[in-house]
This record gives sequence, structure tokens and C-alpha cells, in this order.
Amino acid sequence: MEDKNDILLKQLFADAAKQTIEDNGFTERVMMNLPEMTDPVMAESKVHRLSQLWTLFCVGVALLAFWFAKGWPVLESILSGGKQMLINTIEVFLITAPTTEININPWFVVLLLGFVLVFLPYQTYRKLSATL
Amino acid sequence: MASISDIALVTQVAVFHNKQAFDQLVRKYQSPVRRFFLNQTLGNEQLSDDLAQETFIKAYVNISKFHGMSSFSTWLMRIAYNVYYDDVRARKQTYDIEDSSAVRQSANNGDSNIKMDIHAAMALLKPDERTCITLQLIDGYPIDQISKITGIAENTVKSHLKRGKDKMANYLRENGYGG
Repeated sequence: MEDKNDILLKQLFADAAKQTIEDNGFTERVMMNLPEMTDPVMAESKVHRLSQLWTLFCVGVALLAFWFAKGWPVLESILSGGKQMLINTIEVFLITAPTTEININPWFVVLLLGFVLVFLPYQTYRKLSATL
Repeated sequence: MASISDIALVTQVAVFHNKQAFDQLVRKYQSPVRRFFLNQTLGNEQLSDDLAQETFIKAYVNISKFHGMSSFSTWLMRIAYNVYYDDVRARKQTYDIEDSSAVRQSANNGDSNIKMDIHAAMALLKPDERTCITLQLIDGYPIDQISKITGIAENTVKSHLKRGKDKMANYLRENGYGG
């Protein structure tokens, strides 16, 4: 129930309650003073982006150095030299293999057979039973 | 509960840091927030605008803490209330004395403006009483909402309202209002 004080104050405050304050540039002032917000996710992605840019920069510098140092002929000679060396090694092996004497240790044969006949089937069985 | 448009705007601000969305929130709520401070500071426009600006900046910085359990306006007014009381505490030595005496002086100079008389009457109130009175009579908040905004128990809010209204009504009657 409203008493006399309530009624008096409601009458007097009625206009004040309807009062609307015009913006007059207040919102612009607030927006100008807002701090920049950086959350952890944004900060992390910024670091990630910087790291990618740095990698790109380093790759660019390396490619330029390679180009100016005439790196391609050097690389080509290394590759062709390596290829030639491999071919020579295979050739020597193929020529000498039939005449090379190989000493076969019986224990080595036993271990190899044990590996192939026991260990491999056992491991295969274990893997299959775990999957099924 | 918060209105859907407010929640949509808050989400835009909190997730995408969309300043345009926050601009809309400021435009929508600048009037009640500035009016609240204007009444608390007894008509000091410069101080009211400074406090209102601080309120909106705090709201922007802490927007991710708004979970939509209450309306956005209640949450915002809660920040405004805290900003005001931080300021009151900071100015404890001079604030009430200077402002109250200035308003009383202008009221005693024969200014018949109702607004000035209301401010003079409000100057008689303690800060908590003034806050409860303005939140109810000007902003139209019910007692439970005032309790949420101020963090004061509902029964204490009722006591503040009763005492504040008695003081103001007596002052206004002495000055020729209410017959």
C-alpha cells in the first residue's frame, strides 16, 4: 500500500523518470577510449602468424643465396657424383658376388629359422586377435 | 533474462571484438547510465559523464563475464554502482560536503526549479539511500533488482527506501510541496 510520502515523491519524480539524456557525442568519446582487447587465442594466432612469416623470410633468403652463389651446378655435380658412386658399387658387387666365399654359421641359420617359423607367426596371431 | 538483441550484441563483442556492436549497446544504455550518475552526483554533469565512460569501458573489458543470467541493463547498472562507490571512497574527504553544500546553497537562493529541489532533498540522503531511491523512483527497478544491482539485502533496501523517502518528503513539504 502506498503512503503519502510515496505518492508525493512519485509525482515529483515522474518527470525525472521520463528524462532522456541526449547522446551529444558521448558514444563517440567512449568508443575512442576503448582499450584494444587481445585474448589468448588471438595472441597465440598472432605468434603463429609471425613464426610462419619468419620461416617464409628465411626460405626466401636461402633461395636468393642459392641463386647468387650459382648453387645449381654444384648441386647437380653432387647428385651425379653420388649416382655414379652407387652404380659403381652395385656393379662391383654383381661382378664379385659369385666368386666371394661366404661363411655360414649354423647357429645363425637356427636363429633365422626360429624367427621365421615361431616368432613371426606368434606376433601375427597376437596382432590379429587384438584387432578382432 | 537478457533480451535476445542484447545477447546477440554482447556475443558479437565478446567473441569477435566487434566494436560496432558495442557502439550500439552504448547508444542504447547511455541515457539511463548517465541519468543514474547525474542523480548520484546531484547534477554534476562532468563527473557523471566521466563515471559513465568508465562504466562502459569496464563493461567492454569484462564483457566475457556477462553470462545472460540477468538482463544486460542490470549487469551494467551493477558496474555503474561499483564505479560510483569506488569514486565515493576515493573522494571520501571532500565529495559529499562540497557537493551537498553547493546544491543546498542553490536551493536556498530561491530557485523554484523542481529538479534543483529534488537534488537538494537527495543531498540529505546517505549514498546508499540515494542509490536505492533513484533506482526505484527514476529507473523503475523493483526491490529484488535493486538488491541485485547494489548487492544489498532486500530488507536493507526496503529500510533505505523508507528512511530516504521520509527524509525527502519532509524536506520537500517544508519547502512547500505536497500541500
